[in-house]
Amino acid sequence: MALLQRPFFVLLLVLTHQFMQYWIAFGSVNEEGQKQEEEFNEELLLKPLPDRKVLAHFHFQSSAPPSTSNGRHHHIFPKAISQLVQKFRVKEMELSFTQGRWNYESWGGFDPIPSSNAKPPGVELWAVFDVPQHQIDASWQNLTHTLSGLFCASINFLESTTTYSAPEWSFPPASGNLRYGTLPREAVCTENLTPWLKLLPCRDKAGIAVLLDRPSIYRGFYHSQRLHLTSTGSGSEGMVSGIILEQTLTVVLQPNSQRAGMAYASERHIQPSWSLTSIFGKQVSGTCVLAKSSNVYLLLDRGLVAELEHLHKENEKSAENGFTSQNFWTKPSFELSADPDRIFIEENSLHSKGSSVLYKFQVEKYSESEPFDLSLTWKIPVVWLSQQAPLHASRFLMGSGNERGAIAISLKSTQLSEGFMGANADDERCDLQVNVFQVVPWYVKVYFHSLQVFVNQQPKAISDIIEKIHVSPSKDKVSPGVMEMVLKLPCKVNSAALTIEFDKGFLHIDEYPPDANQGFDIPSAIISFPNFHASMIFLKDDSVNKSPLLSKFQEKSPVMSYTEALLVPLTTPDFSMPYNVITITCTVFALYFGSLLNVLRRRVAEEERFLKEKAAKKTGRLSLLLSKLSAKLRGAWNEGSLRVS
Amino acid sequence: MPEISDSDSSKLPDNASKVPPQPQSQPDFDPKLMRETKPGLKRLFLTLTVLFSFLLGFPFLWKSVEIYRSPLPFREIDSLLTQLRSDTLLFPLHFHALFIGFDSDPDRIRLSILSEITKVTSQNPKCSNNYTLSVTVDFGPRCLRFPISSPHSISYQCGSITATDFVQNDDVAVDEKLESVFSGKTKEYSVVVVKGESEKAVVGKYRHAWMVVGGGWEMEIAAVKVAEVLVKVFVNGGREEGSIRNEFMPVGADGKIVLSFNLLNADPRDWVYDWDFRKIDDGLLATMIDALGPVANISVESQVLYHTPKASFSYWNQKLESHVFSNKDLPFFVNSNEWHLDTSIAAGGRSKILQFVVYVPSAKECPLLLQLPNGEISKTNGFISPMWGGVIVWNPQGCLKDSENKPTAGHRIPMQDLENMFEVFIGQFRQIFGFKSVNVYAGASGVWNLLPSERGFTVWEVDVLSRQHTCFNLHSCATTLGSLSRLVQSLPRMIIMDEIGKQVKLSLEAAKLAQSNASSGVYESSAASSRKARSLAEDSFFHPSIMSVSYYSFEHCFAVYSPFFLPVSMHIGLAALRELRRYKKEKAKYLAWKAKSNTAS
Repeated sequence: MALLQRPFFVLLLVLTHQFMQYWIAFGSVNEEGQKQEEEFNEELLLKPLPDRKVLAHFHFQSSAPPSTSNGRHHHIFPKAISQLVQKFRVKEMELSFTQGRWNYESWGGFDPIPSSNAKPPGVELWAVFDVPQHQIDASWQNLTHTLSGLFCASINFLESTTTYSAPEWSFPPASGNLRYGTLPREAVCTENLTPWLKLLPCRDKAGIAVLLDRPSIYRGFYHSQRLHLTSTGSGSEGMVSGIILEQTLTVVLQPNSQRAGMAYASERHIQPSWSLTSIFGKQVSGTCVLAKSSNVYLLLDRGLVAELEHLHKENEKSAENGFTSQNFWTKPSFELSADPDRIFIEENSLHSKGSSVLYKFQVEKYSESEPFDLSLTWKIPVVWLSQQAPLHASRFLMGSGNERGAIAISLKSTQLSEGFMGANADDERCDLQVNVFQVVPWYVKVYFHSLQVFVNQQPKAISDIIEKIHVSPSKDKVSPGVMEMVLKLPCKVNSAALTIEFDKGFLHIDEYPPDANQGFDIPSAIISFPNFHASMIFLKDDSVNKSPLLSKFQEKSPVMSYTEALLVPLTTPDFSMPYNVITITCTVFALYFGSLLNVLRRRVAEEERFLKEKAAKKTGRLSLLLSKLSAKLRGAWNEGSLRVS
Repeated sequence: MPEISDSDSSKLPDNASKVPPQPQSQPDFDPKLMRETKPGLKRLFLTLTVLFSFLLGFPFLWKSVEIYRSPLPFREIDSLLTQLRSDTLLFPLHFHALFIGFDSDPDRIRLSILSEITKVTSQNPKCSNNYTLSVTVDFGPRCLRFPISSPHSISYQCGSITATDFVQNDDVAVDEKLESVFSGKTKEYSVVVVKGESEKAVVGKYRHAWMVVGGGWEMEIAAVKVAEVLVKVFVNGGREEGSIRNEFMPVGADGKIVLSFNLLNADPRDWVYDWDFRKIDDGLLATMIDALGPVANISVESQVLYHTPKASFSYWNQKLESHVFSNKDLPFFVNSNEWHLDTSIAAGGRSKILQFVVYVPSAKECPLLLQLPNGEISKTNGFISPMWGGVIVWNPQGCLKDSENKPTAGHRIPMQDLENMFEVFIGQFRQIFGFKSVNVYAGASGVWNLLPSERGFTVWEVDVLSRQHTCFNLHSCATTLGSLSRLVQSLPRMIIMDEIGKQVKLSLEAAKLAQSNASSGVYESSAASSRKARSLAEDSFFHPSIMSVSYYSFEHCFAVYSPFFLPVSMHIGLAALRELRRYKKEKAKYLAWKAKSNTAS
């Protein structure tokens, strides 16, 4: 293997060199101007997941080169996005709508897909602006309103300063002009997907997007729709900068298990066989004619490949055949309905765990009469595990009652990754760097002095573990609290935990949402590992560079994961309380006034007199009554005599 | 309890003071009917003081629950409304008639033209014009003018135009010549009447018209024709009277129009066409936008959309060998579900967006022709929808689906076709503004040729539009303010922010300025300030704070305060009533005793 790697390394160097030259050439074309055209690419990546599910990742990329007429005249690129970029001077922006939670444990956390496409539930928006510092907030607020109109969502709630923050350095595209906000409770549905599809030149009328059958994709376990745009620097004077718009939709679906003649004893170990029709209910009947490239990829991740290799080796041993990687991939342990146009094998020297394999299918070859319906049928049962991020992060609440509590972020080492971490452990001092970014709404009043760090369940001094910390405390009703930290954990760490205490604040009665008793969300924290890069390097040639999805995979982006969103119950008042208070106060006041007035105008002497008179009268009347009664008792016959007397 | 004991101790002397010392001494003294002492005023005074202070508190309370309402100038709004309704807005216009080769008295000609003008002029209920007319008869070296001291006629140099200028057949050259002669500082509309051989009547693209008449022409006939061209063409823009379209202007409240051009490929699987829009934008459209500058601030956008079928079906016509879309289905041509033309983010909230659509039909409906109501096929193959925009169907050459050729292989609409298309669009745009696109104006007295401008709109047309724009803006401003004032007066519990008051005031000021500018003939600034007046009026009417009306009702106020005020007012009222009644009774008693003691003594 080592011998094989060296030529590859040289090749890689040569290629990168060529790539650089290409870039330089690219720049000069920009300066000449107008030569480039707007482009659109559509791609779909399918990947079987270990827990019998299938990941489908749609990737659409439109790009507009720098030109004088961006924002005014467009051919393929959506005009609305271009105008938005020009109007608010957006340098980079990402908006995601997500439903469900990415299951880092079974779906993996190390690949480029989870680290850039697993998003917190609800809406997440961040944007970098190219405006002077004092205008950023105004631009952000206008942008939220525009996006809210564009995507039929309540993104405009991110307008208030209590909902967004300005991370300094822990959020990956860190820069001073960044604003970040989330709406964890935003429900995501077709009304958000339709405007998103409207930005594609073919919408869902043709091409790969035809597969986006609403009932099937919303039935999935995870659904994340993302829009990322980057404005590339303008070439020369008077040119408006170009834009690259990347739209991705990541869904995790459960294929309907087809037991086509498979009779294995351990049925539950068998991966379900699936096809595009069985997961989406549709098939691709041709490309979007405007797309420059239109490809479908099938990705087998490292764990699966290693497992398959292992199984294959065992089989081959008995057959006494020499093992080569060539014939292995042409005779795998599963069957594909279509022949792949190309097979890419990941070029990796870092991970001992084998390398991923990518099958490429070109949709151009298929047509309406012969639609593309990829299906995968497993021949043998396979069990594997996805590659995990170095630490698995989870976050939970501690404490009880409506007064105070604590937030804990726990990081647990994933045993799988121990292998390659151990490789570095031989150095005298091996550190695992972890960045934590956490936003807390103002009504959760965090006491930063109460921050505690536990490593392997032992309390540690903060200064030993935390290398860098930036805290901007929340201001009541003005801004949320932001905490950014860089942790240096020893490589052999098993578990680490951070706890921080908070008091629950009181909101004004107007500030409660309609369903206040549900609780209040604390947005997900972001845990990133800057020393680990989620990238897949494939054997470089032109076809890889041409594919935006694969070049995206090759970018070195830090491994990132989101924690759960927390739900904090706050004391909710009885909302009729103000009226009750008013009523009772008023009654007390009225009683007080009435009695005071009565006392003031009281005539004590006269009343006494009256009372006396009354008493006198009363006794008279009473005696009269008594006598009458006795008379009645005595009988009616001597009444007359009484009267006479 | 101590109080009671206290009163107990003070009982005796009090009793002694009130009860007459010798009640039994006078046999007819009834303590129930008489008393010897004056009744005390202490308690009555006390209760009445409380009552009054309570009543005095009410205005304060009323003030405290009052909501903030910025004072609006209702009276001024009303006066603006009535002013615009009763006295129509008068635009001063000046006409100049020049007769060459005629031998008659300018005063007589002027009178006959004036009488013809009053005959032709129909009273526009909203805006009318205040015109002056000067007539010059040119004899070559000298000329006769009437009125003699008019600044308009004096600016014309005698003999600078001769009959020979009109002999040539080049109308454009004549127009340029007239423009060079007449272009003074003042904006006047001039008509030149020349005696010549051939008969001809032309309206130029500036503010001039000329007429070459034969030898035997009577003065009166010429006067009729001159009056007609002045009123119908220069003043009314050659448009039909009383059509609704004349009243509306497709200009947004902020004075902006966004022209959004869309190329729709109905089915890109058959063919994909693209266009070179930038060339058109820089060429044809830029000059038109420049020409319309005084009326509106126009911006242009374009996009290409795909998979956008039309909403209704066409049928195959064997004779024409094409698919025909009939006139009665036109309302269903625009497919608002699939044509995501969109509003513009770049434009402000209140700009008017006009959508212009080039529809490229799919292979199975190609060629697609639009049918006129009379059964003929439309020459432009397009239609307009007022206040929305226009649609043109463009059929690709041959309409044959070449299956070998990949559809993406950049088809472009040929430049020639594109130019034709945009000429039609400019025509449609003119139509949306109410102008016709034919080069002939046929009046009652004869036919005038209209010289088209390469800028899309001639100078006199822009004048008409800017007058109409001012008029429309002022009226719309007045009606908006009127409805705002009616709304505000009808909802007494509506909060009105200071900002609304300020906007209303500014809008009224701008409207006044526009009126005064219009009457002094400064069209540009009056159009600008009328636009400002309208946009401010709309801003105040659509101010977001105006919605905060319904949440703090009077019932709410009543519910909050009644638990306090109801019991307290009952207590105080009853106490005051009782004290008053008692005082009256006691006083009567005292008076009775006094009378009695008087008679007794």
